[in-house]
Amino acid sequence: MAASPKIISADSGKLDRTDSGRDRADRARVLADQVELLYRQAPLGIAVTLVIGSILAFELYSSAKIGELVLFWALLMVVVSFARFFLVLAYRHAQNRDTAPDVWLRRFAIGALAAGVTWGFAGAVFFPGHTDEQQVFLAFVLAGMSAGGLPLFSPVWWVYALYAAGVMLPFEVVLLTFGSRLFTELSFMIPIFFAINVSVAYRLNQVFISAYRLRVSYGRLTEDYTELNQRLERQLIELEEVRRQVEASGRKLALFAERAPIAVLELDGEGRIQEVNREAENLFGYPAGELVDQGASIKILVRPDRHAEFDKGWQELLKSGESVAGLKMSNPRRDGIEVVCEWNVTPLVSPDGNLISIIAQGRDITQQLEADRLKQEFTSTLSHELRTPLTSIIGSLQLVNAGVLGDLNPDQAELTEVAERNAQRLLDLINDILDVEKIESGKLTLFSEPMPMDELVSESIKLNQGFADRYKVKLETSGVQSDIVVNADRKRLLQVMTNLISNAAKFSPSGGSVEIEMRRKDGMVTVSVGDRGTGIPDNFRNRIFNRFAQADSADTRAKGGTGLGLAICKRLIELMDGTIGFDNREGGGTIFWFQLPVHPAG
Amino acid sequence: MPATPLNRIFYAEDDEDIQRIVRMSLERIGKMTVKIESDPLQAIAGIKDFKPDLVMLDWMMPGMDGPTLLKTMRAQPETASYPVVFITARATQQDHAELTALGAAGIVSKPFSPKDLPDQLRAIWAGLP
Repeated sequence: MAASPKIISADSGKLDRTDSGRDRADRARVLADQVELLYRQAPLGIAVTLVIGSILAFELYSSAKIGELVLFWALLMVVVSFARFFLVLAYRHAQNRDTAPDVWLRRFAIGALAAGVTWGFAGAVFFPGHTDEQQVFLAFVLAGMSAGGLPLFSPVWWVYALYAAGVMLPFEVVLLTFGSRLFTELSFMIPIFFAINVSVAYRLNQVFISAYRLRVSYGRLTEDYTELNQRLERQLIELEEVRRQVEASGRKLALFAERAPIAVLELDGEGRIQEVNREAENLFGYPAGELVDQGASIKILVRPDRHAEFDKGWQELLKSGESVAGLKMSNPRRDGIEVVCEWNVTPLVSPDGNLISIIAQGRDITQQLEADRLKQEFTSTLSHELRTPLTSIIGSLQLVNAGVLGDLNPDQAELTEVAERNAQRLLDLINDILDVEKIESGKLTLFSEPMPMDELVSESIKLNQGFADRYKVKLETSGVQSDIVVNADRKRLLQVMTNLISNAAKFSPSGGSVEIEMRRKDGMVTVSVGDRGTGIPDNFRNRIFNRFAQADSADTRAKGGTGLGLAICKRLIELMDGTIGFDNREGGGTIFWFQLPVHPAG
Repeated sequence: MPATPLNRIFYAEDDEDIQRIVRMSLERIGKMTVKIESDPLQAIAGIKDFKPDLVMLDWMMPGMDGPTLLKTMRAQPETASYPVVFITARATQQDHAELTALGAAGIVSKPFSPKDLPDQLRAIWAGLP
């Protein structure tokens, strides 16, 4: 009988319930079932009581010395029966049948005791005063009633015990006190009957409980089973969903790798190729089967004379477990031709530190390197091969214009001057393009040294005096101090100054002046170059430092220039940790300025 | 500063156009005496023969480049002490530092101004001990 709950307990553990809580719940449920059975069977007992009671009352009343006493008993029996009947009705409509079975059991027990006592009363009161036959009849009725109560009350054995005690105890007392030998013998037997009946009731009770427990256990098992099933079903659905997601992302990844314009190879810890994408096949000329199925090593793509170096790098990669990016390497193809690739190599490591695989992604940069080389070659050609003839052209024209060959007539002089100026412009353009190229390729290196600012100003004025003279502009200075030193590239800073001064001279009205001013404040020195030109048009202000920026194309011919100067200046000043800008000038014109940190030594 | 004014210039340069311009600049504007040699391999002999005040070298020449020529000059007692000025299109500060380290007295960048060249050389001459 105790086995079933154990089985449930074993299962219930998996379902995260405590055994004791569940046992308690089971016991309450079994008790509720017992009580329910008691109440269910009660109407039958009540009906039998009324029928047997009525027959007994009728029989006794006809021969009774005290008829009123029989009537009273009959009335008592009816009252008790109805009370019990109403209790049954109340139970049937009660809400708390399952939650408070103990309360309903107590009420039922009182009813059963009352019924028992009513029968006992009949035995005690009517037995002595009646004929032998009637006494036999009464004894038979009482024996029948106490036996008949067995199936009705045995679901809870002590309810039967109470009932049977109610029936037998008063009768027992009467038999003991009656005096006849037969009755005395009978009185000895009654407790034995009582004991037997109660023990039978007890056993019935236990059988009943076992049966009910089995039922509950079965219900529980079914419940558990259903719940397990539902849970399994939910997990299956979730698993299916996860599987779908994993499959989708796997497909996506595979697609990325398969269609990617870079070679992707998966390698194991020994460098054996596990998988390759299409681009890897195309790039290196090996079919996937040849690489993967034959367990080829990645070293097949490394030049033999680099194997030792490669092994060393590979060991370092395995040791550090960290990815390597931008690794440039010459890789022999299947046909022996070498391609230069830039590799990103990433070890995939599980959370517990084990190497899963190594992903190598390679991009063919052979053409890019070739393009870079050509560009550099072109640049140096531009630099040297174009400058050499220009040197001759400009030199020749300068000599002619300087009057070395004697004076020219005005028309000749004008044309040779045009030729010289434009040759110079061509040279400036070449220099500017070279500068821009250097800046953009990050190859512009500055040679910074402490440089006194007064020297910078005087030197730049000397360099640009000729230019200013041509535009009939005076160069004036103010605030020049001899003790300000900046850390700068002399040649490049002079280039910036020349750019600003020549711009200012070009845009100044004839006979005007360009004002070069120096100010020192908070560890910074500001050099400004002001003109009295027409100012900068609003629509040009925000792109003035862009490449090939010119206020309007008609201007280019009038003033000359490449449109690269200010873009180069901006970059140069920024490389020297400075800032460059411009403001409108009060009274007309523009002020261009740059600001540099003052060198601590200055 | 040397006691005598700068007068005799020896110039090793393979480009004939540049040769003409430099000659004209130095002779007509600078009023100097100029000897020009196209073949760098003949330059040492030319210097020994001409005995200039100052030697001007191009950087890039076929057969022997300027810096090598300077080193060769320095290796021979007869030509070791001539002041040498480079005239070159190689314009980076790194290039200039390299030449200064070799013992160049001065550097003139190409493209140069023939009008100013005599004055540039005289300024370098004035700066010599």
